Amino acid sequence: MSKKILIIEDDLFLQGLEVTKLKKDGYEIETAVNSVEAFKILEKMKPDMILLDLLLPEVDGFMILEKIRENKDMVTIPVIVFSNLSEDKDIKRAQKLGISEFMIKSNFTLDELTKKIKELIGA
Amino acid sequence: MLFRRKTKTGDSVEEVEKLKKLLNAKSEMVSIGAHQVRTSLSAIKWIIKMFLDGDLGKLTAEQENLLRKAYDGNDKAINLVSEILLVNKSEEVVEKKYTFSKSNIIEMIEGVIFDFSGESLWRGIEIILLKPKDKVPEIEIDKEKILVVLQNLIENAIKYSKYHGKIFVSVKTEKENIEISIKDAGIGISEDSKTKIFEKFYRTENAQKKEAMGSGIGLYTTKDIVEKHGGKIWFESKENEGTTFFVSLPISK
Repeated sequence: MSKKILIIEDDLFLQGLEVTKLKKDGYEIETAVNSVEAFKILEKMKPDMILLDLLLPEVDGFMILEKIRENKDMVTIPVIVFSNLSEDKDIKRAQKLGISEFMIKSNFTLDELTKKIKELIGA
Repeated sequence: MLFRRKTKTGDSVEEVEKLKKLLNAKSEMVSIGAHQVRTSLSAIKWIIKMFLDGDLGKLTAEQENLLRKAYDGNDKAINLVSEILLVNKSEEVVEKKYTFSKSNIIEMIEGVIFDFSGESLWRGIEIILLKPKDKVPEIEIDKEKILVVLQNLIENAIKYSKYHGKIFVSVKTEKENIEISIKDAGIGISEDSKTKIFEKFYRTENAQKKEAMGSGIGLYTTKDIVEKHGGKIWFESKENEGTTFFVSLPISK
């Protein structure tokens, strides 16, 4: 059975590219553009991984991460932050909340992203 | 009768406040703009890489060659945007009010070396911290701003070192001051450039050859911060042999 990934990304163009690449690599994908959509999905299913952007409208990625880590059903889901924020304070804040990896979008290709996902949850 | 409040330099307080607000707005705008540009450049990077990896079909040699050039050009633009974000951030820090507190300089240096360990490893460079035998006293500084000084000097030493070079960072107590030195065996500074190195936006010819990206603001900012602490910064350098930067900071204000 293929692994499920929830992508939380408000830029539909980037989201489309991520979906194309990850589906091609055999992952099952759910998408959300904001926290409301994300938690609606998380109530119904438990993904094997969450790919989380930080700059999101209204409720940002940090707050979503905080809520995930406070919820006993979601606390163990591995999260990769995939964002263009790159300041030390942002990386440390996300790490404090509990993430598997902080990847700066412009420093990585989608191929490198899928390699990291494979490393963490398998194909 | 109305009196306009004046600062030490004679500018009216209202004008200074207005300028500060303008600068904050500018900084915010640069940051938002740079992040948006970086997002678009990320998409271009991913798409070109998908083509290059053959995800969208086989390419001819000519197509591949051109796309590789586009990929490299795009990466240069990403680096430039990252540099703009860094400069913007260090300007923000410099413009902030100075808040002094007692700090452990050795711990701060260790933290900065750790933060740059990825980059130094990638360039095959070893950074060695030479701690003095005796305990270094805590020093009264604005921690956030002195971090910018340490980051700028250590980053420069990495950027302008030769592959597999060694960088020595040492700390010693000199009477009422703490002296930090950062020694690299890199490209060095030419005689012509020695008088201009701390000027805003100045970059030496050697630096431009070694690292195309750079704003020329790092050392200007560094000197400004050190002097606002009542400290001194100077260097010794020989072209093609290396450079040592020295920073001396008073232990207490």
